[in-house]
Amino acid sequence: MHTTTRIPMASKDTSASVKNLLRENTLLLAIVLLLAVAGSFAPAIFKPENLANMALQFAPLGIVVLGQTLVILVRGLDLSVSSVMATSAVIATSFSGHNADLVWILPLALGTGALVGVANGLLVTKRNVSPFLATLATMIMLQGARNAWTQGAPSGNVPPLLRDIGAGMTQGIPNNAFPLIGIAVLAYVLLHQSTFGRRMYLVGGSPNAARLVGIAVDRVTITAYVLSGVLAAISGVILSGYVSVVDNWVGKNFELDSIVAAVMGGIALSGGKGGVPGALLGAAILVLLSNAVVIVGLPIHIQLVMKGFIIVAAAALYVAKSKVRS
Amino acid sequence: MIEMLNIHKSFNGIPVLKGVSLLAKAGRIHALVGENGAGKSTLIKTMAGVIQPDSGTLRLGGQTLRWRTPGEAKSQGVHVIYQEFVQFAELSVAENIFMGDKRLSPGGFLKRKEMNLRAADLLAKLGVQLDPTARVGDLSVADQQMVEIAKALSHKVQVLILDEPTAVISGQEVELLFDRLRQLRAEGVAIIYVSHRLEEIFQLCDDITVIKDGERVGTRLVSEIDQAQLVGMMVGRQLADLYPARRKREQPGEVVLTASDIRSGARVKGCSLRLRRGEITALAGMIGSGRTELAMALFGAQPLDAGSITVNGADVARMTPGLAIGLGIGLLTEDRKKEGLAMLLDVAANVTAAHLDEVTRQGMLDRGAERRIAEQAIAQYSIACRGPATSVALMSGGNQQKVLLARWARTATSVLILDEPTRGVDVGAKADIYRMMHEAADKGLAILMISSELLEVVGMAERVLVMRDGRISGELVGEGISEEAIMTLATKAHDAGIQRAAQVAEEAGVPA
Amino acid sequence: MTTSHPNPAAADVRAASKKTSAWFQGNERLVVVVVLLLLLLATGSFVSERFRHLGNLQNVYEQSVGLALVSAGQTMVVLTGGIDLSVGSMISLMSVLTSGLIDGNPERVVWVVAGVLALGLLLGAMNGALTLWLGIHPLIVTLGTGAALQGLTLLYSSDSAGSVPPEFEYMAYGRILGFPVGATVTLLVFAGLAHLLHATRQGRYVYAVGGDPHAATLMGLPTRRVLVSVYAFSGLCAAITALYVVSRFGVGQPYTGANYTLASVTPVVIGGTMLSGGKGGLMGTLLGVYLMGLLNNVLNFMDISSHFQLVIQGLIVVIAVSSFHGRKAQPV
Repeated sequence: MHTTTRIPMASKDTSASVKNLLRENTLLLAIVLLLAVAGSFAPAIFKPENLANMALQFAPLGIVVLGQTLVILVRGLDLSVSSVMATSAVIATSFSGHNADLVWILPLALGTGALVGVANGLLVTKRNVSPFLATLATMIMLQGARNAWTQGAPSGNVPPLLRDIGAGMTQGIPNNAFPLIGIAVLAYVLLHQSTFGRRMYLVGGSPNAARLVGIAVDRVTITAYVLSGVLAAISGVILSGYVSVVDNWVGKNFELDSIVAAVMGGIALSGGKGGVPGALLGAAILVLLSNAVVIVGLPIHIQLVMKGFIIVAAAALYVAKSKVRS
Repeated sequence: MIEMLNIHKSFNGIPVLKGVSLLAKAGRIHALVGENGAGKSTLIKTMAGVIQPDSGTLRLGGQTLRWRTPGEAKSQGVHVIYQEFVQFAELSVAENIFMGDKRLSPGGFLKRKEMNLRAADLLAKLGVQLDPTARVGDLSVADQQMVEIAKALSHKVQVLILDEPTAVISGQEVELLFDRLRQLRAEGVAIIYVSHRLEEIFQLCDDITVIKDGERVGTRLVSEIDQAQLVGMMVGRQLADLYPARRKREQPGEVVLTASDIRSGARVKGCSLRLRRGEITALAGMIGSGRTELAMALFGAQPLDAGSITVNGADVARMTPGLAIGLGIGLLTEDRKKEGLAMLLDVAANVTAAHLDEVTRQGMLDRGAERRIAEQAIAQYSIACRGPATSVALMSGGNQQKVLLARWARTATSVLILDEPTRGVDVGAKADIYRMMHEAADKGLAILMISSELLEVVGMAERVLVMRDGRISGELVGEGISEEAIMTLATKAHDAGIQRAAQVAEEAGVPA
Repeated sequence: MTTSHPNPAAADVRAASKKTSAWFQGNERLVVVVVLLLLLLATGSFVSERFRHLGNLQNVYEQSVGLALVSAGQTMVVLTGGIDLSVGSMISLMSVLTSGLIDGNPERVVWVVAGVLALGLLLGAMNGALTLWLGIHPLIVTLGTGAALQGLTLLYSSDSAGSVPPEFEYMAYGRILGFPVGATVTLLVFAGLAHLLHATRQGRYVYAVGGDPHAATLMGLPTRRVLVSVYAFSGLCAAITALYVVSRFGVGQPYTGANYTLASVTPVVIGGTMLSGGKGGLMGTLLGVYLMGLLNNVLNFMDISSHFQLVIQGLIVVIAVSSFHGRKAQPV
């Protein structure tokens, strides 16, 4: 039996579409509803200052989440992002504080991120280390190196251009949105339109099957980690502009946050599933929720509790859904 | 004796057992036979308490029972030796045999000395000498099987069910196993023996029940039936119907792939073969003989330790899957869900997966082209689905296999290797797949088909290579192809005696 | 025709040496760790004579107590193929609860200690139950519960909480028969647990569930009970560690456990327990703990700044965990 006429039904494919995403993610729907409720309780959420504040927080997280998404897609995990971000921030402030320094800052920071990515990728592919341990190890080593460099007391100034990008606004839109949009577009093209993206999905779905159709699995995996490292570095540089005072802990908690955001955005931790719109949506929701907690008047530490619940709930829902499907 | 009456079981609305009844008497060996997917596995699991039947009765020794857990079944004396051993590689032989056994661990504390002694004892009764403290993961598969059986024998056994036990052992080890089983039969155990090796059944069993498509076709005394009748019951149709007519053999085509003395890993110990265009060559042999590993080595998925591969006259120094695909070789793997399909993606993505360059323009995917290719494949191979965007995870085994064949048919221009192409595929799709194979061969491809189904081999192949223990033990052509001939080469029973003598000599330190 | 009788003695020797080499192969990680330990001892004595002082080595030993205690629980969890990323938060929570609830009142000590231990068991059991009930990988579950617990800790107290009476320091600073209490307790805990794992049926279940959960279920082993137990146990170990920490510092702080989480996985992994489960044991973990402690000590003597120590620590993890045999990829 075969069909010659195709019934135009909604397809369960991997192409990105927000409607598809919302349908697949009841959790997101629930959270969106929750936000609506919170909004009605404390309309202060929608006050322009708060919205602007949230918008500024969105870009750094969004960029890192995009990188984390790539890694999770190929069945990995990147815990080193926070360390890479902090290192980039330190690099950004290690020079004289003039815009000319960017010529040095950018290649150094991005180079560090790429190097960490290569290290992570090699550990995972060639040495068979679990991604958890590998990125944990690089995170620790990077932290040590960074601390040694700053002698524990980081100091310095951020070039004014970075401050502008990191903290400034243009016509009500935060400046850091521009690099984010650029990166998001590139990520979308890479993941959803290029052949390399298709290879990533094949590797994430089944590394064995991918190997048997001639895909260089190791190379794809390492690339994912490198991209994650580079994106984390970019985010760190941008964030340093926002923080402007150098803090050794720029990027703290970003590894947890990026995983939470990805999971909320429908990126499956088992690999091979998820996309750019989901990642961004997840990041946006996380920023909204974190701020909602504060604005509504709950103690800030509720954020942690909430993130904890979200991770568990989102993962559970995904498992439940895949059970129903099979 | 154990009796199953009118057992029904469905999974997700698909009926797997449609009112099957089975009566296995004590002191007899009862064979359970049927094709893949016939329902044998489900029936066994129901007997063992792993699965609950939707309806039907289970009687043990005349008493009606209902088991909710495998533990309950075991406590009543029903034990199963599965094809995949239920063992823990890191633990010792004795620990495995007595895992969970409360008798040897009063108050929780293990009586290790006694465990070791008893384990050695049980194994000795099976004619095996193993160190009870040895790590199970280090043992040979045959020894692991003995540990598995010893596990069952550590309890009082009323019913012993064996699921394809000879899939992983051969020759002398099979004889030993049969001796043990006959011994147990004499002690009054009811033995149920699941196998597709018909010659073994005629050698060992007393009764036989045939299952087909979830129904019992019939029960006979082994002495009252012959192989042809048995096959007729299993397949339900004449041999000629299932397979397309034998192709007219013209001049054998040119040799497109030559493999010389291939050694790879633990399983491939020196194989040479030649594949010719337009010819369907089957690679037969018992499970564990190394066929899949040989295919993997030819495709470059497994490294070569020695030997050479020549494709289209050119020597290939180090084969990789990418290289193989470039040379026009395709490999349909044995496990389509884990090694073949991209289960999370759709039909279109799966069809183009091996040849992404075809749908790439300047690094970008040409989804339109991909869709067209998929639509063409769907029409050409009668793939039942809603369209190119259907998720392959939702499709039946047969249609999934067709998607994979469509994938490889696109890129394979020299050799197409198919590993168990019709496993888990319904009869209708099987016929389609056989037709596809003939079409591919007619177009000039050399086809290497690995199959465990003797009928399939006999029906489809023009040349048969039989593998045994990592080597090609023989080659059959044309009229020489028959199940007996294949089975003989696959088991080479007469060699076993010589092997045993050599082993004994080695242990005694005497030069053989 | 000549026949030679097989020499039984020679056969025995051959069998024995075969067994020893098999043991070495199965426990290669332990051998590596012991060798590394000896190397470190040698390096240390070479670098500074103060290193060799019994007082110094004892100091290292004592300082490892906290980490050792929590790593014991982590070992059990990892043996089943899981991981507990909530231990740090549990330690934070229970240390502030301890000092906060006791608040200097000696009469309360017994109750609070009992309560904290029970809480540890309970929280751990909750981790195990959630993992089972929701069917998610324990990495994610404990990541989530860890975050939540840390949040709850901070809600209770964002800074040091309460205090404990001076007698409380007995655990960390007291001595029994000349031996430090804490370190002795640690050894007892490890010895007891190792014995349990090796000599009891339930101990074997842990290895079974970790080695092949599917097989364990098919055999009718109480897998759910085993899983909940190991996590409960990990919670208990976290509780004991929290008590130790409070004993050592006199007060509980909300961020005190932060470093313990990842640090507790390192000695487990170095000591040869595979993240995939079913292989390894407590002895390896203990050696791993000492290895790390000794390493820090030697590096201190070599005047290497603590920052580089972090780098080297990370390197050790990588080296110790790198699979040289191309084993199958780890699940997490």
